[in-house]
Amino acid sequence: MSMPSPATSELDLRGAAPAPVFDPATALVAQATRGYWRTVLARILRDKVTVACALLLLAIVLLAVFAPLLALADPFKGSILRRLLPIGSEGFLLGTDELGRDMLTRLIYGGRLSLVMGITPVINALLIGAFLGVVGGFMGGKINTLIMRTIDVFYAFPSVLLAVAISGALGAGIFNAMVALTVVFIPPVARVAESVTTQVMSLDFVEAARASGASSFTIIRVHILGNVLGPVFIYATSLISVSMILASGLSFLGLGTKPPEPEWGLMLNTLRTAIYLNPGVAALPGAMIFMVSICFNMMSDGLRAAMDVTQ
Amino acid sequence: MFYYLLKRLALVIPIALSVTIVCFSLVYIAPGDPLSAILPSDASIELIDKLKKDYGLDKPIPVQYAIWLGRAVQGDLGTSIATGRPVNAELGRAIFNTLILALFGSLIGFSLGLAFGTIAGYRQGTWIDKSVTALAVAGVSVPHYWLGMVMVIVFSVYFNMLPAMGAGPGGDWIWDAEHLKYVVLPAITISVIPTAIVTRTVRALVADILGREFVIALRAKGLTDRGVFWHVVKNAAPTSLAVMGVQLGYLMGGSILVETVFSWPGSGFLLNTAIFQRDIPLLQGTILALALFFVSLNLIVDLVQTALDPRIRRA
Amino acid sequence: MYCSLLLKRARLALASALLLAALPAGAQTTLRIGMTAADIPATTSQPDSGFEGNRFAGLTLFDALTLWDLSSAEKPSVVIPGLAESWAVDAKDKTKWVFKLRKGVKFHDGTAFNADAAIFNFEKVLDKSKPHYDARLVAQTLPRMPTLKGATKVDDYTIIVETSEPDAFLPFNLTNLFMASPAAWAKTRSWTEFAKAPVGSGPWKFVRLVPRERLELEKFTGYWNKNRVPKTDRMVLIPMPEPNTRVAALLSGQVDWIEAPPSDAIPQLRSKGYQITSNPYPHTWPWQLNVAPGSPFADKRVRQALQLAVDREGLRRLLGFNAIAAKGVVFENHPWFGKPKFEVKYDPVTARKLLAEAGYGPGKRLKMKVQISASGSGQMQPIAMNEYIQQQLKEIGVDVEFDVIVWETLFNNWRLGAKDPAARGADAINVSFAWQDPFFGFARFYDSRMVAPRSVNWGWIQDAEMDKLVAKARGSFDAKARDIALSKVHERAVEESYFLFWVHDVGPRALSPKVKGFVQAKNWFQDFSTVSMQ
Repeated sequence: MSMPSPATSELDLRGAAPAPVFDPATALVAQATRGYWRTVLARILRDKVTVACALLLLAIVLLAVFAPLLALADPFKGSILRRLLPIGSEGFLLGTDELGRDMLTRLIYGGRLSLVMGITPVINALLIGAFLGVVGGFMGGKINTLIMRTIDVFYAFPSVLLAVAISGALGAGIFNAMVALTVVFIPPVARVAESVTTQVMSLDFVEAARASGASSFTIIRVHILGNVLGPVFIYATSLISVSMILASGLSFLGLGTKPPEPEWGLMLNTLRTAIYLNPGVAALPGAMIFMVSICFNMMSDGLRAAMDVTQ
Repeated sequence: MFYYLLKRLALVIPIALSVTIVCFSLVYIAPGDPLSAILPSDASIELIDKLKKDYGLDKPIPVQYAIWLGRAVQGDLGTSIATGRPVNAELGRAIFNTLILALFGSLIGFSLGLAFGTIAGYRQGTWIDKSVTALAVAGVSVPHYWLGMVMVIVFSVYFNMLPAMGAGPGGDWIWDAEHLKYVVLPAITISVIPTAIVTRTVRALVADILGREFVIALRAKGLTDRGVFWHVVKNAAPTSLAVMGVQLGYLMGGSILVETVFSWPGSGFLLNTAIFQRDIPLLQGTILALALFFVSLNLIVDLVQTALDPRIRRA
Repeated sequence: MYCSLLLKRARLALASALLLAALPAGAQTTLRIGMTAADIPATTSQPDSGFEGNRFAGLTLFDALTLWDLSSAEKPSVVIPGLAESWAVDAKDKTKWVFKLRKGVKFHDGTAFNADAAIFNFEKVLDKSKPHYDARLVAQTLPRMPTLKGATKVDDYTIIVETSEPDAFLPFNLTNLFMASPAAWAKTRSWTEFAKAPVGSGPWKFVRLVPRERLELEKFTGYWNKNRVPKTDRMVLIPMPEPNTRVAALLSGQVDWIEAPPSDAIPQLRSKGYQITSNPYPHTWPWQLNVAPGSPFADKRVRQALQLAVDREGLRRLLGFNAIAAKGVVFENHPWFGKPKFEVKYDPVTARKLLAEAGYGPGKRLKMKVQISASGSGQMQPIAMNEYIQQQLKEIGVDVEFDVIVWETLFNNWRLGAKDPAARGADAINVSFAWQDPFFGFARFYDSRMVAPRSVNWGWIQDAEMDKLVAKARGSFDAKARDIALSKVHERAVEESYFLFWVHDVGPRALSPKVKGFVQAKNWFQDFSTVSMQ
């Protein structure tokens, strides 16, 4: 079964869907893992929408990474004389921005920082949150209470409020924005990790492993991580789109990236006033964020479905 | 149930206290001068020091915290540095406006979400289900402040149908058609996320319940569609209510971007101003009020859910 | 009971009869303005929000002893008598000024303006022993009149104003000290309460204030200057910090007038029949350089090279031509401009040559860091403009890195100076400034005593020659001599290029076709009295 969890606070993070719930029926004894992952991969490949989204994302990532090798215009150099050309202008497929720089180039280059700003906080939160959750769940008792109660405090703030308040306090900048978003995402990840760990701990084969004298490290490595990482990872992927939207929102409020580095949120911000002169071009960065965010959400859903053994 | 209630309440107190510490310390991490809100560009440092003394900002931070907390417990959040007005009055107004917006936002979001989710859950796998799901994914993926800007251009500027900003022509909210016009665009913008999330949750719940053995068995026994629907509602209610409760909290605390786009004079707009003006008492008060609102909402959601669904009573 | 009801009815009838009589056309006319401020400027009689605050919550509700002449769009705006009819410095002791006050002026509450009222308003920012002294008012006032020391009454309509040193700039500075009604303050003995229903003697009377949402004013028919009694019945001021929100509000008919429409929206506004007014005003958008010893910009050649490297036409185009190229602190035809020996223009060849002379070239590019803000009150379009300058400087071999910080923090750093850790080693800072009066335009920047913590000589300019010129101007009490002395200060400011002068703002405004009779003066402040609605 896949009843959404009763602990629904995670949903506040626009987390696309309820956090994955660990189901003892699907728990893995260590040996079974390889076959399971193979099944998951096969299922994903059968899911056309997920594959299409993954390919699109891959294309955007590759374009962003190899942007300097492509025969593109200079993303930093423009001419005031040809500012805000419309989409489809000769030589400027997607028009030009407020300083006359090629929009296509800037959108491709913008992917670099935007993706980094979307993904880094989630990765950080995944590492820190999973660590806290697993340690808490494994140790149990006072340590778990301490960790989880501290996390509860951050839960008291709606995510957007927390992100804005922290980056407002730290001041504008990419680094500060990423710190703020990391802090926002740690609590939900830790909660998911903790609840799954606690449940795995109570399972027979873990008990058996303990009884047979396996070290804590081995138990964590083999049994717990094997079972916990999956659900936590799925959950984290659903946060990427949230992270991208929040990051661009921070840029929109003036708390994000610094120029002239192209970044979609910042481009959206600086092109805002051009909406009256050239709405098409002004809408492009927002559309990029929208598209990439959809892809990440679709992929996360696909991944979730593929990993749900009961279906 | 009673003990569970007590236990949950007891848990809230340390959290609330920690929240006040976070609220208070957050603004002291900030670089820049807390008085820059009221200082003109070229005030001298001597003058700034003098003013710091006047505002009690020269005391050690723990002492400032104790004074602030002592007053906050009595319901006095101090005076805004920038405007000299009591924070309580500023907040009361702003939170009222945000509540209005959240009310309409959740009205739209919850009714659409429940309708879409139920239909899609009943029609699982059909094109209706697929388009509803796609719509829901779009809803959580769209940068909603961007959507708000686009809607202003379309509905206010091109078609000139709805006002572009503000909470009404006069300043005070009145329940009439004129004021309702002002709430339409921001409420739609802010309802996009709850619509999507409620849709997804309800769809998953309905599909799950319909697929369960007891429902199939009941159907085989000849239970009417209406009867089945009643079972669906009964089983889906606790989780759906919980999700909606949390979404309401999100609407209250997360409206900062939308309120900024529409200059809606609510708590998010106030917070934005407070951040940029470095108006510490106002900033602390606003964050505190919103966080406490959120904590209590979570508590209520939890209790209601527990009352409705005995299976998850964890006391 | 019956009696009072009757009375009430009678009063009501009378009131409506009066209203009808006062309005030949029938309907009341209301002018609604979208301001750029994020909040209603303080109505305590000393507004915050910079000069925009004075424009909307200062000069509307209140008068000062001296006022700006806002009647002409052509002439540079000068200081004229306000609540003082005349003033003169004491020939023997140049720290004392005699101000003759205007007779017959009434505050909105009907009380008379006289020497006691004037002294009350000096005390509110100068005399700590008085109950009406208030730190918030001080913060908004004294930085604009650093030499003001006190005022004493001679008779009911004469006062003596004292400064700490001879200061010819005093009449300019006093345009920022607004006269509030002492009787209105005495009702609650609190400026916070006063701000809820402020009473001044200005052309507009207070009606209603909704914090952060609107300030409503109505015309004061008893205004002392009959030519400046407002032609509109009401004025509503609405804060709209978002430029796009302002445009949308104007286009959807929510307001009749917006301040500073974004330049990219202007073509559309124009095509829909909206009036775009603009006029250069004393507002310059520069980079202020760090010239402390050890900085590459201690070398005049480097400063001049940068000055010559930027094509200001491009900046103007970026701003939809809503700017004029800056050749100095002030406009070229301004009395303070003088005849600088160095011309600020676009000349990349000379720029490269000067840089080479200073030891920079292809092998050794000059690197610099500039603190800028992403947006901020009156900051035009800082990101796009700075990026443009960055591109241009790259051409002559200067690599610019930006440190983007929140506007309010940048403002704060401005005061702290280039040597403060907050500057994070920046070589320049980008804060647009007002140069309406000589203190704001010159003294606070170029006087060596004005380094942090005293004022905004951010880049530690320590120029003995400049100090002499500033002192001379400050001691020139004859208007003509003062202007000449100031032009000498300006000539040196341009020749030394301590600031990189990019553009002057022209303060664009967009007005609905219904708005008539607005004359945009070359000033930060504007006269709303002449405006009528059709």
